Amino acid sequence: MNGLVQRQPIHIARGMSAKRALAIWTALAVAALAVFVASLALGSVSVAPTRVFDALLPSADASSDLAVQIVRTLRLPRALAGFGCGALLALAGALLQVLLRNPLAEPYVLGVSGGAASFALVAMIAGCAWWIVDASAFAGAFVSILLVLGLARGALWRGEPQDASPRLLLTGAVIAAGWGAVITLLLTIAPDSRLRGMLFWLTGDLNGGGTPWLALAALCVAVLAIVPIAPQLNVLLRGDAAAQALGVPVMRARLRVYLVASLAAAAAVTTGGTIGFVGLVVPHMLRLAFGNDQRMLLPAAALGGGVAVMGADLIARTVIAPAQLPVGVITALIGVPVFLWMLLRRRRA
Amino acid sequence: MNARTSAHKSAAATLHADQLTLRAGSRTLLDDFTHTFYPGEVWCIAGPNGAGKTTLISTLAGLMRPAKGHIELDGMHVNAWPLARLAQRRALMPQTSHDAFSASVLDIVLLNRFPHLAGWGWEREEDRAAAHAALDALGLADFAARDVLSLSGGERQRVALAAVLCQDTPLLLLDEPLAHLDLHHQIDCLEALSGWARGAGRTVMFSCHDLNLARRFATHALLLEGNGVAHAGPTRDVLTPELASRAFGYPLVLIRDGDDEALIPALRATSRN
Repeated sequence: MNGLVQRQPIHIARGMSAKRALAIWTALAVAALAVFVASLALGSVSVAPTRVFDALLPSADASSDLAVQIVRTLRLPRALAGFGCGALLALAGALLQVLLRNPLAEPYVLGVSGGAASFALVAMIAGCAWWIVDASAFAGAFVSILLVLGLARGALWRGEPQDASPRLLLTGAVIAAGWGAVITLLLTIAPDSRLRGMLFWLTGDLNGGGTPWLALAALCVAVLAIVPIAPQLNVLLRGDAAAQALGVPVMRARLRVYLVASLAAAAAVTTGGTIGFVGLVVPHMLRLAFGNDQRMLLPAAALGGGVAVMGADLIARTVIAPAQLPVGVITALIGVPVFLWMLLRRRRA
Repeated sequence: MNARTSAHKSAAATLHADQLTLRAGSRTLLDDFTHTFYPGEVWCIAGPNGAGKTTLISTLAGLMRPAKGHIELDGMHVNAWPLARLAQRRALMPQTSHDAFSASVLDIVLLNRFPHLAGWGWEREEDRAAAHAALDALGLADFAARDVLSLSGGERQRVALAAVLCQDTPLLLLDEPLAHLDLHHQIDCLEALSGWARGAGRTVMFSCHDLNLARRFATHALLLEGNGVAHAGPTRDVLTPELASRAFGYPLVLIRDGDDEALIPALRATSRN
């Protein structure tokens, strides 16, 4: 009998181990570093990679050297913001896919981006400074988070064998639809002169001149808050009753997942607008490649999402240079066919 | 009742239902039920649809709070147990399993080692060994690398059973473990479960619709009528034609052929009515 047992070549047969996860993270980190250096070196003015490192040293003179100035004040914040946004979005997507036990969940599915966009657009119509627009976006996301939480509080854990995820998903989706109507309304009544900036914001744009620090700080907080309970999230995927019976405090775990995912999405949207498809596609690509073990997947999604948005932004600002595309266009243009391919492949398999 | 004894670390667990009342909406499913379930016993929970089998199992597991009364495990209120410690003492197999994403059968079974993990939550060799042993016990050794999404309903059910076995707890609560299984797998599973219970003095409680399998494999039975009345005791005293007919609302007769016997629905024409 044993001779007949097939040695399955697929990754999921081997199971995940700390060593394997570390190897995956290292590979992704190396990729992130490579894209990071390329983001600093490439653009309308090319800077040799060795000079990029020189420019980052404190000893470099920013006042006289144009290359140093470009790297430090334009490309560095933008590359960092791209990495931060992508990492937050992919992490939020992976978390919501676990929370809602639904492969189609993404960071915006529960209305976080809609709330952020509605508030940000109001600030833009009023002609506020960029930092007020950012603050409004974050406030809007927060309002939406609290709204969904208040309405679907009971759906986090009802102490019943039945699954409560669909109720949370429906509540969030309906709130998101409501925000969608608000956004359309705002676009309709906005003066023409502001419309272009508003549309760029909605598509996702790293050209806003904001700082990357909110996104990077949020990323650190999110990773520290969620990685220690990654083993619980594996169990949570088996259903609420099964998880509670296995010793996972389901209510607390789901609340933490919801809050971390929502705040991550809020910080990302505040920094880069609603960049699409990263949160949906990156976790799925990593799942297809390495399996669905959350202990590996969550840090990997953060690194992979960072690489994806940083890379997409590099393309967005070089492909038709000196003009720039919104990064959301690139992520969606690449994300849509990749996702469709994955979906169809899965149905066949 | 003076709780924390050394029993916590032993292989056996004693479950006690104290004046338990269960309700669903305005209906009383179980009324003032007191009973103790001892190690080595294999209990079948039987009753018509909606009689409260799943509610009772969830309550015994400490997931749902009863309308009245309480559950004790090893003399301590079930909700006073820390969740993680409780999960080392009793395992629950829910009626349905969620599989939204691909995962190997081995990974799914390994998840039930969660209560035994320490540190950063990575499995050790002994966890993998326990998972493989559980798969072996249910004849699933060749399934370890299969994707759960590719399994049939019955195969998925056996994987779920292997998962609770590898949790290695002295008390097993199983909600319809035999659903979707064909006959020889039902018997294999029941044999594995009774061997598991007898061997180390563990307690198994499972809900089941097949009264004949219950009569053959369970040492004890708990028959729920769904109206608050419950009968608990040795299988042969509880799953009798009289009590079962009353609970299921249809006349049943016991027929014998040598040592084999079966409860079957009587023909209406020959029933007492």
